Amino acid sequence: MKKFLWFILPIIFLLILWEMISHSGFVSITLFPPPSKVFASLWEMIISKTIFLDLRDSLWRLILGLFLGSAFGVIIGLFTGRNKIFENIFLPIIQIFRPLPPVAIIPLVIIWFGIDDGAKIFSIAFAVFFPVWLNTHIGVGRIAQEFLWSAKLLTASSIKIFHKIVFPSAIPFIIAGIRTGIAVAFVMVFVSELSGASGGLGYRISISSLTYRIDEMIAALIVLGALGALTDQLFVFATNKIFPWIKFSIK
Amino acid sequence: MNHILVKNLSVNYKNFCALKSVNFDVNKGEFVAIVGKSGSGKTTFLKALAGFVPFLGQVTIPKNIGMMFQNYATFAWLTVSENIAFGLDGKNSKEQIKIIDEHLKLAELEDKRDKYPAELSGGQMQRVALARSLAHNSEVLLMDEPYGSLDAYTRDKMQQWLLNIWTKYNKTIVFVTHNIEEAIFLADRVLVLNDQKFVGEYKISFTRPRNESIKFSPEFNILRQEIFESLNQHLVS
Repeated sequence: MKKFLWFILPIIFLLILWEMISHSGFVSITLFPPPSKVFASLWEMIISKTIFLDLRDSLWRLILGLFLGSAFGVIIGLFTGRNKIFENIFLPIIQIFRPLPPVAIIPLVIIWFGIDDGAKIFSIAFAVFFPVWLNTHIGVGRIAQEFLWSAKLLTASSIKIFHKIVFPSAIPFIIAGIRTGIAVAFVMVFVSELSGASGGLGYRISISSLTYRIDEMIAALIVLGALGALTDQLFVFATNKIFPWIKFSIK
Repeated sequence: MNHILVKNLSVNYKNFCALKSVNFDVNKGEFVAIVGKSGSGKTTFLKALAGFVPFLGQVTIPKNIGMMFQNYATFAWLTVSENIAFGLDGKNSKEQIKIIDEHLKLAELEDKRDKYPAELSGGQMQRVALARSLAHNSEVLLMDEPYGSLDAYTRDKMQQWLLNIWTKYNKTIVFVTHNIEEAIFLADRVLVLNDQKFVGEYKISFTRPRNESIKFSPEFNILRQEIFESLNQHLVS
């Protein structure tokens, strides 16, 4: 209870302060709408279901992009981290693309894939790939030699060693990579929806900006922020449930 | 009968020689301890026996060996029972359960079956590692300072436990340690490794089963002194 109070009190304080500043007359109420107006807009968006349609569009792109980027990141990371030949082949290619700011590829991707979901999903997957790949690559390369030696004495199956020893030992790294990927995916879904979209939270924010509906803009931003925090927490919750031993390894 | 036979074993790392033409033999069911200071080549010797490092010379050792490390090497993502079951390829689930139960009992960890290694103490983790090798039916156990990170009390308890297990299963054990007392208490024979070669060999004739009281006997102290001198003589010369 005390913990909850400490969590909620600063938020309430901030909302009151915000409400007071908006009504103080020092700032334009249109440019800096009070939280009461923002929540009223949010309620309107809920009643008219536009927020759910935007959420659906953004979430679909986000989940698919995140899944594809993570899947490729993990698979290629497992190979480059454990196999010198793969490392030699892939590393130079990856190192060329890695320093690119992922948002910089969006104009090119739009030309290639059009303004449909394909371009947005590709951009998100592209951005997610790098942190997931890098963490997986480092994770599988860092396995303690004693684990591998013990496993080799206990089983002759190299598939079993890979599946039961090498891969699980990298899971904390992979999870850290995907968490970074989630944060990156949110940036990318927002940026990719700013141009050439007909729905989604990024689209809602850009449209509200054009129509000077600052209250709607802030409402959509709050939803985007809440969605980001919720996704991250859900991911942590799910990974702790699936891999209960992880909580001991991230002490 | 020799269970392990080593002739002219040398191990060279990039810039230095880690073992110089070493000869070594162990009988089946014998408990041999190797003492040496840091950098003397103890761990390299075990790695060569296990085939983990390239070497020159001849090593004859059974295929089915188990190895224990100072940092336990229990798989952090597997529960205690899954760790024990790791080497049970080709056994059906009924047989596996039977073997797991038997070895949990042996490791005195029946109540920790579903715990993860991080939830165990150092001594318990080391018992899981040994139970895993025994479940796999390893004929030879190579132990690399297994009790190096345990406190003195736990170390004493683990030594007694290991002797009980050894008496019951009669495995061949090569036990590496820097602790002279531990080596004398446990082994049939103590070898001193110094400057990358064996420089002394001591037969330990205390009757078995042994208990802690022998550590305070005059014979024990004389042996300790001799081994200590053997270890240090070569450092000075």
